[in-house]
Amino acid sequence: MTALSLPTSTAADLLEGFPFPFSHDSYRYSTNVEPARSPVATPVGQWGASVVTVDSEYHRELAERAVLLERDPSRYGVLPHMEVACWDAMLVLLRELASARPDAFHLDVVDAEGPTYRWRNDLLGIEQTFVVGRRETLPAEPLAWACQQVQEDVVLLDQRSGELYGDAGVVTFAADWSFGFDLGMTFLEIHGPVPRVHAEGVIPRAREFILRLQPGQVYRRTNWTLTVGRRLDVATETYPEWGPDRAMVLHVDDDAFGHLVHLRVEVQHLLRLPESGAVMFLIRTHLLPLADIARVPAWRERTAAVLTELPQDMADYKGIAAYRSRAAAWLRDCTSTTTPAPASPSALAPEESR
Amino acid sequence: MAGTTGMSGSVRERLRLVVVALDDSVPGIRSLVLADAGGAPLPPFTPGSHVVLEVPAGPPGSARPRPTANAYSLTGENAHPLDYRISVLRAREGGGSAWVHDLAVGDRVTALGPRSGFAPVQRAAKHLLLGAGIGVTPLVSHLRSAVRWGRDAELVHLHRSGAGAHAADLAELAARGARVTTVTDRESFTALLDDLLRTQPFGTHLYCCGPAGFMELVTAAAARSGWPASRVHTESFGVEALDPGAPFQVAVAGRTVEVPAGTSLLEALEDAGLAVPNLCRQGVCGECRVSVTVPEGGRLVHRDLYLDDDEKRAGRCAMACVSRALPTSGAAADLEVHL
Amino acid sequence: MIRLESSSVPTWAIAPEVGTLDQRGRTFSLVVIGDPGSRHLPAARAIAEAWTAQLAARPAGAVVHRELPAEAAVAVLTADLHRALVGHRILLTGTARDCLAVRAAVLAAGAEDDEVVIGVVDATERTVWCVHCAATTVTTAALEGETSCSGCSRRLVVHPHVSRRTGHHLGYMADAEEQPWSWPEPRA
Repeated sequence: MTALSLPTSTAADLLEGFPFPFSHDSYRYSTNVEPARSPVATPVGQWGASVVTVDSEYHRELAERAVLLERDPSRYGVLPHMEVACWDAMLVLLRELASARPDAFHLDVVDAEGPTYRWRNDLLGIEQTFVVGRRETLPAEPLAWACQQVQEDVVLLDQRSGELYGDAGVVTFAADWSFGFDLGMTFLEIHGPVPRVHAEGVIPRAREFILRLQPGQVYRRTNWTLTVGRRLDVATETYPEWGPDRAMVLHVDDDAFGHLVHLRVEVQHLLRLPESGAVMFLIRTHLLPLADIARVPAWRERTAAVLTELPQDMADYKGIAAYRSRAAAWLRDCTSTTTPAPASPSALAPEESR
Repeated sequence: MAGTTGMSGSVRERLRLVVVALDDSVPGIRSLVLADAGGAPLPPFTPGSHVVLEVPAGPPGSARPRPTANAYSLTGENAHPLDYRISVLRAREGGGSAWVHDLAVGDRVTALGPRSGFAPVQRAAKHLLLGAGIGVTPLVSHLRSAVRWGRDAELVHLHRSGAGAHAADLAELAARGARVTTVTDRESFTALLDDLLRTQPFGTHLYCCGPAGFMELVTAAAARSGWPASRVHTESFGVEALDPGAPFQVAVAGRTVEVPAGTSLLEALEDAGLAVPNLCRQGVCGECRVSVTVPEGGRLVHRDLYLDDDEKRAGRCAMACVSRALPTSGAAADLEVHL
Repeated sequence: MIRLESSSVPTWAIAPEVGTLDQRGRTFSLVVIGDPGSRHLPAARAIAEAWTAQLAARPAGAVVHRELPAEAAVAVLTADLHRALVGHRILLTGTARDCLAVRAAVLAAGAEDDEVVIGVVDATERTVWCVHCAATTVTTAALEGETSCSGCSRRLVVHPHVSRRTGHHLGYMADAEEQPWSWPEPRA
């Protein structure tokens, strides 16, 4: 078992772009979808202007994904009929990268026949000309290749007989679920283990919504939990590695606690892929330690309130029952004298090349 | 959280289009090429998708007193469309199709962006496409996509002699490897049908589009030949006008409203001064969805193309423009509508 | 805590249940699944006989009736479906564990849910897939009960979560949060 390292200070853009998920002092499951691509202002910055987000963790997270895929190839899976959907997904992801960061990513049609595209990823130094549908024009399978270049996890849902099936994807940063096991399941089957009382009706309603999603529409929602350490991979597969930290964190001192416990927020995007009719589900994971949450008074107070009020079964399901009370108390007791207020939000460009 | 409007997924992009070409070479059928009025590329769409054209009201006293909207299948390139192509059969005088047949090159039209409800099943081992008359239109884009991706597909088109819509498109796709059969009389098609449905490799999916009688013929034959529901897909554009139905009564907003035969629930509500948001008025767009309660012993006849089978069975909502209640004995009203 | 009726565990894998035969099918592969001598075979044969009686009016050859262990059933049915035409149905009867395994292969060979009918005679045994080491363990542990992994010896929770692709139940470490932990390393 590898011990966690206490994180060093958080890059400015991770705080400024953090998608703080709570709009009330209590949290319940809901089908909280809204149209995407609209920026949400926060006390220290904003998030949500684009479908994919590139930040200063870009190189580190993609390197981590590569290591995880090498160690456990089941984090990538494509059932045979999903080939067209993978090409579809790849094109949409490249297009979204180019639209989110036109300074760093470029996608051009060089020949309408095929069609043939030229792709440039300046952050990774990639230049590639490819023909849609021709595997030999890419260095890897289309979905795998795209996921070497986005920080998002991707699940592709095939729609047939009025049902959605999770039939392809790359998921290296799962929060307590196993993509490899869930591959091929229906949407309702995948969500079967969500506890009953608070999720009543939410999952079936979400399914109805997704079934009706049309090409061109992009929606988003957020989900959240707590994670010990800046650990993106908390998949069920590696539970023996990260499970003990939930006990460990109860024994560390307050300073270490605030730096170890992270609010983990998933910004999830949903869109219909035009050619295959499959639905692409993007999961972008953001982690911010409580020490940084506390730098923003509104975030500190609200997170403390939500953690305090959260019903026990939801805390159990999220795996935070053992330390959520301490997390709430830590946030309440933490005053501005112990955690300096943030410097005024700067317009720092993301620091990909650190 | 977005409210229930966001949840309905009914928000659709309005496209400003211009007619750039017309083809009237097939009698009674007009094919149009529509481009973005500002020269922008058009949104890609899933094979089998349609657009909804907004049809303005005719002059007072005409056969089209209100604006309406008609759905037409897209027949052209779907992945990188430079234009949208549709084909329209001229139906009754004064209707939306007559308006389309009067359009000229350069005319502007407004459309709701593509909507998919008849997509090829990616898992299919083979795609069997059966179309009659103008009902071949959504199958043309299915076949084009199948040829592009090397999928096994076979199309049979039943049409009157000399009236084959999209014959050139189909010939071109046949030249690129698709199997295309043309049948010009119903007897030959009926003779062919059972054999066709009983010799398809396991894993085949069936797609059927055409007039109601044709679709009944095909779906009944498929059921007879052991096809499970999951492998049979129908698209019912080109259906004849809905029958006028029997009169019924609805309880709404604390009063009772009569819906005469030949008048839609939507029109009856409007005549009673009750506003219901609406657009296509033919059961396609979903805008006029209303919550309903069916009384004990009552029955709702949906007739729309918007709700899925589960929603229709649940009977908790209806499309006011086409859905009707059957008259019941005993109940105070045949249907309760909650606005 | 988990609502079983909305989970990925088919109801017939919770308690024995016999599905309704789809009389519209034109041809049928009927398999009684079980190892020779299995104590569940008589009950499965009875279900098969009831199905056969319902299909008695079919022409000769429309129903192919076999009795095979699960692995052989997978091979035979996969071959059947390669040759079959639309209109074919697959009828499986045996234990829930065997039916889950064979159904997975049949779905992978292209069958849709409405082409497969399942008749379960016993649902006490299941195959648990260890999410940590990928070994499978056959157990009679209840849903949300525990078993020991045949591969890594970890105590596994039998999660009420079943893959249609493999027919396995998900098993995850029962006591991960009770294991020895290490102090975090100080900041670099």
